[in-house]
Amino acid sequence: MKKIILAAAAVLALSGAATAQETVRIATEGAYAPWNFLDDAGKPAGFEIELGNAICETAGLTCEFIINDWDSIIPNLLAGNYDVIMAGMSITDERLATIDFTANYFPPDPSRFVAAGSDQIDIAALSGKRVGVQGGTIQAAYAEENLAGANTVVSFGTADQAMADLAAGNLDTIIADGAYLEPVVAASGGAIVFVGEDVMIGNGVGAGLRKDEAGLKTKFDDALTALKKDGTVDTLIAKWFEGRGPYFAE
Amino acid sequence: MQVLLNEIVAFWPAVLFNLYFAAASIPFGFVFAVLLALGKASTNPWISRLSRGYIYAFRGSPLFIQFFMFYSLALSLNISVWKPMGVSWFVLHPLFIGPLVLMLNTAAYTAEIFYGALRAVPRGEVEAARAYGMSRFQQFRSVIWPNLIRLAWPAYTNEVVFLFHATAIVYFALPVIGAQKDLMITAKEFFERDYNAFLHFSVAALYFLAVTLVVFFLFGLVYQRLMRHMPAPPRLRYAPRWMR
Amino acid sequence: MSDDLAFWLGYLTNGKHLTWYASFQFTIFAALLGGSLAVIFGLIGATLKNSRYLPLRLIGSFYSSIVRGVPDVLFFLFFPLAFEQAVEWLVATQVCTPELIAAQSAAWPPCQAANWYLGTPEYLILASVSLGLVYGAFATNVIHGALRAVPRGQLEAARAYGMSASQVLWRVHIRQMWVYALPGLSNVWMLVVKATSLLSLLQIADIVLWADRLGAPNFLPTVGLVHDDWRWRYYLVLFVFYIIVTLLSERGFEALMRRAGRGILSERTN
Repeated sequence: MKKIILAAAAVLALSGAATAQETVRIATEGAYAPWNFLDDAGKPAGFEIELGNAICETAGLTCEFIINDWDSIIPNLLAGNYDVIMAGMSITDERLATIDFTANYFPPDPSRFVAAGSDQIDIAALSGKRVGVQGGTIQAAYAEENLAGANTVVSFGTADQAMADLAAGNLDTIIADGAYLEPVVAASGGAIVFVGEDVMIGNGVGAGLRKDEAGLKTKFDDALTALKKDGTVDTLIAKWFEGRGPYFAE
Repeated sequence: MQVLLNEIVAFWPAVLFNLYFAAASIPFGFVFAVLLALGKASTNPWISRLSRGYIYAFRGSPLFIQFFMFYSLALSLNISVWKPMGVSWFVLHPLFIGPLVLMLNTAAYTAEIFYGALRAVPRGEVEAARAYGMSRFQQFRSVIWPNLIRLAWPAYTNEVVFLFHATAIVYFALPVIGAQKDLMITAKEFFERDYNAFLHFSVAALYFLAVTLVVFFLFGLVYQRLMRHMPAPPRLRYAPRWMR
Repeated sequence: MSDDLAFWLGYLTNGKHLTWYASFQFTIFAALLGGSLAVIFGLIGATLKNSRYLPLRLIGSFYSSIVRGVPDVLFFLFFPLAFEQAVEWLVATQVCTPELIAAQSAAWPPCQAANWYLGTPEYLILASVSLGLVYGAFATNVIHGALRAVPRGQLEAARAYGMSASQVLWRVHIRQMWVYALPGLSNVWMLVVKATSLLSLLQIADIVLWADRLGAPNFLPTVGLVHDDWRWRYYLVLFVFYIIVTLLSERGFEALMRRAGRGILSERTN
């Protein structure tokens, strides 16, 4: 009797897992325009949402976007709360130790410093300044390693929160992805400007997956290759990042 | 066992932040609470209404929201107020604004305790003091205050414990500077590394529990001193019936 | 002027804001379920504390004192995680084969098949249960005290009527107890309501998360209205919302206490 109950429980659990497999859940942060954000309808939108949908269509998968805070986005992937991360996440060796990445869908891009337009700031000899980063990003690791000694590194939950503190004069500079900062600087009308030398970190942005999901990774990679070849990826990059690309055209 | 010991050592720097937050906010909160309680009992309708409203608002809303609200409010005043005064780096620092919000919050709860105690001060003693021709300040100093603090002490002890527990959410709401991390952030980061919820959260809980017991012990000693005139001094018990 | 009004009306009713308004349901749901569970756990805890058997009494006292010795937010985060892991471990003992375990790269769960997916509904229920557990410890003390406050004579009268022990408990003791427990339970309810602000820590898109997202400065016209940091205004709305909930709850409990106190001669002088 006990065996039967256990077997039934196992079947239930397995079937639950099987139905869960049908929709691929893609986590995104929803606070990193134009990569991913919540539009006026309150739905995820942006470059990665359109790209993710295109990938799923090509690969014949049903996909669903889930919003998850950036700082717990890898732990919750590993814990199985979703299957893929598409959140402007750069491919790095540290992350490759815990998760897998597809090929990049955005090429390696310099990280850049910004400051308020009125500020005179010397990035090359940065000292005694307040440097804002989004916690858990490659730039946070870079700042921790290279700037923390002489400066104060302040980490925020989202990039937008760091921007708010910069705009309010609570930070001297922010280091973040160039592709995130460029539209902000362009739209700010001189209130926020690029400063200092760019820093090259990260190997481009890709979709993160658990290491045991080799099948899903192949599907994503194949779809991505096809979309790069037919120009969809470049079209989307051009649409969301003005004046960028083409990167993947033959 | 070794794992547990390592873990306890690893959490040690973190508990200092929680202790700092509590220690920095409690004395100011105490003073502010006395003023608020007296304000609420004031015969001046404006002072009374203002104190009443303040106490109600801060007791009636979550501390979590208060943190977010005050941080973003302070931030929006940065360019116009803090920068010109040259205190920007200081005002928006979590080690300042954290205790500030905790202080504003605990003052409201403490004021309500003190107000209740104030109303319970025996009227006869106050009348006797007045009959002696004491000034209002003398009445407060030698009759009302000693009664008030004795009546309020057990509930106040409980509030101090609550405040210490409330320090757990400071860094969930405020930016983290460098390696300045409290118990909860440390536990969360350790958990996200190896998913051992039981170990990391238990050790954090152990620290909170230990400090709670120390607070009860120390405040119990004070209580016994306050009550030393009684034939059999009542003892302060852990987990009393008061709550926030 | 009317253009302005139309603009703001449109802005405050766009989909993003509507989602924010809709997310109040999570807060209200968690408060109601968490509050009810707190009363149930409180009843269980108080019964344990009153038990004739020492081990049960110890469990009751342990529950009501330990849960109160740690911050609510710690337990709030710990319980859903621990519960999820316990379920996954249980499933893992049944479904994980050695090959599956070998294929698993993450530290948890033991194998991917044992993974339990938690979405918003699951987290919401787990969050409510942990609220119930935490504040049930407070309710335990309240109800324990209230059970003792019921006048002995009433219980003796019930026994003299020939009621059995369980009849005395359910028909007289617990019913009479509410009158004495209500002031304390109203306090517990306020604590539960305030603790619902923590839902976003469990990745629930609640009112706090949306206030942050709506208020965060926006620089890009493609994303929506360009504005600077408006967060404090949104948090002010939440601040006022909670104060209003407190006000209404207070009124509600006053009415309830008046109703429950009918026919009871009290020495209250006010």
